[in-house]
Amino acid sequence: MQEHQVAKIEVGDGAAIPNQADRGLVSAWWIALVGTVSLLVLLPVLKPDPYLSILRVVPDGILITFQVTILSIALAIVIGLFTGLGRISSNRVINLVASLYVEVVRGIPLLVQLFYIYYALGRFVRVPDLLAAVIAMSFCYGAYMGEVFRAGIKSIDYGQTEAALSLGFNSRQTMAWVVLPQAWRTILPPVGNEFIALLKDTSLVSILAVADILRRGREYASESFNYFETYTMIALIYLLITLVLSKLISIMEHRLSSYERR
Amino acid sequence: MSAADPIIRLHNINKSFGAFRALTNVSLEIAAGEKVVILGPSGSGKSTLLRTINRLEDVDSGTIVVDGHNLHDPSEDINRIRMEVGMVFQSFNLFRHKTVLDNLTLAPIKLKGLTRARAEEVALALLDKVGMRDRASHYPVQLSGGQQQRAAIARALAMEPKIMLFDEPTSALDPEMTNEVLEVMVTLAREGMTMAVVSHEMGFAREVADRIVFMDEGSIVEQAPPTTFFTRPESPRTRLFLKQIL
Repeated sequence: MQEHQVAKIEVGDGAAIPNQADRGLVSAWWIALVGTVSLLVLLPVLKPDPYLSILRVVPDGILITFQVTILSIALAIVIGLFTGLGRISSNRVINLVASLYVEVVRGIPLLVQLFYIYYALGRFVRVPDLLAAVIAMSFCYGAYMGEVFRAGIKSIDYGQTEAALSLGFNSRQTMAWVVLPQAWRTILPPVGNEFIALLKDTSLVSILAVADILRRGREYASESFNYFETYTMIALIYLLITLVLSKLISIMEHRLSSYERR
Repeated sequence: MSAADPIIRLHNINKSFGAFRALTNVSLEIAAGEKVVILGPSGSGKSTLLRTINRLEDVDSGTIVVDGHNLHDPSEDINRIRMEVGMVFQSFNLFRHKTVLDNLTLAPIKLKGLTRARAEEVALALLDKVGMRDRASHYPVQLSGGQQQRAAIARALAMEPKIMLFDEPTSALDPEMTNEVLEVMVTLAREGMTMAVVSHEMGFAREVADRIVFMDEGSIVEQAPPTTFFTRPESPRTRLFLKQIL
């Protein structure tokens, strides 16, 4: 009963988070990283035309991709927190609304949602493309994030809640000062996963008029007809970003679990 | 209020979990300063009864009055009443993300508006009392069960409650640790705290209780001072229980 269960929340679409135990040089992560970096350096050096010119058009796109990702994940975390709380609420109406939101969002492909929100918004208000993309992405990811929050909150032993209530905390204070601060540790790793998944999914916004990495590449390819070379570089850039991010998340995850071992 | 006035009054409490009747028409009064130990076989409803006193368990019918406040009166603030009623759990339930000291100061700072300095002063004095001052900066995972439970008692005391509820406080502990926790409880009893204790510790019951309440199948079977209870129990059910346990 004393053993604290650090619940693992499995959320599928992120990059594989490297296992901290694999510290050897021959882990899949290292091979992928060394390969990616070598190709990103060697190709432009050995064949500047077109690889170097491709590299030149992408940086602005990287910035946009990061902008969309960070804004969307921040908004999705806020939506997710309220959705997660709504899903465990004893208030029937709130519970139903939150559950309905999750059901609807999970049942519709992201690309369809993206088009729908983009054009639906466009009918009533004129919002910048980037903002429309952020709204659509966070609306979708908020639902997934809600499930992460719900699982994280439920992973905290109910005894913690009872102890707080018995001291005189109301349920909101109990959530804010006792349950959520503990749930973060369970929630953060899957949020990291979602972050990587979201970053990859932002490539979908290139279909709207948002000039992210993929959009930049497509524009370049359609002018130069170097489709193969362009998409090679685009894939390598995405891979490099997700490899680095997944390592960072793995380090963070490790730090968090060492807190528990202290 | 004279010492004989009940500070806790439970009247005709009924409580079911689905088809299972946990409590049937239970009435119980506890006077200020009185120490009541509730005994009974597992599943007899002792913990459920204790948990109705601070409304961690809602009842289906009956009235509960704690220190003059009717718990089910909508105009009463249950959170304020709970501040007056400390509770100690079988599984300690210390806040795992906080040090022992922060466990003790959280509620007084947030709920009573104490300054951090004042709350820590109070907390350290209490930790001294339960022999845990040198563990103030430890996290719960770094402590033994007995240490955790002593810290949990101190945490409840930090709110300066009028009543302390103990829900099988030593059931999760091995014998040595049981004693260190019981010692703290004995001290508390000597100081005149009103205590309701669900426990299997017969020695503690004998030494500390003003009254033993024996429950079986959701009802109170017998109540008596410990000397009478252990030597001349009235009900055959009590006699059977004592024979099995002693």
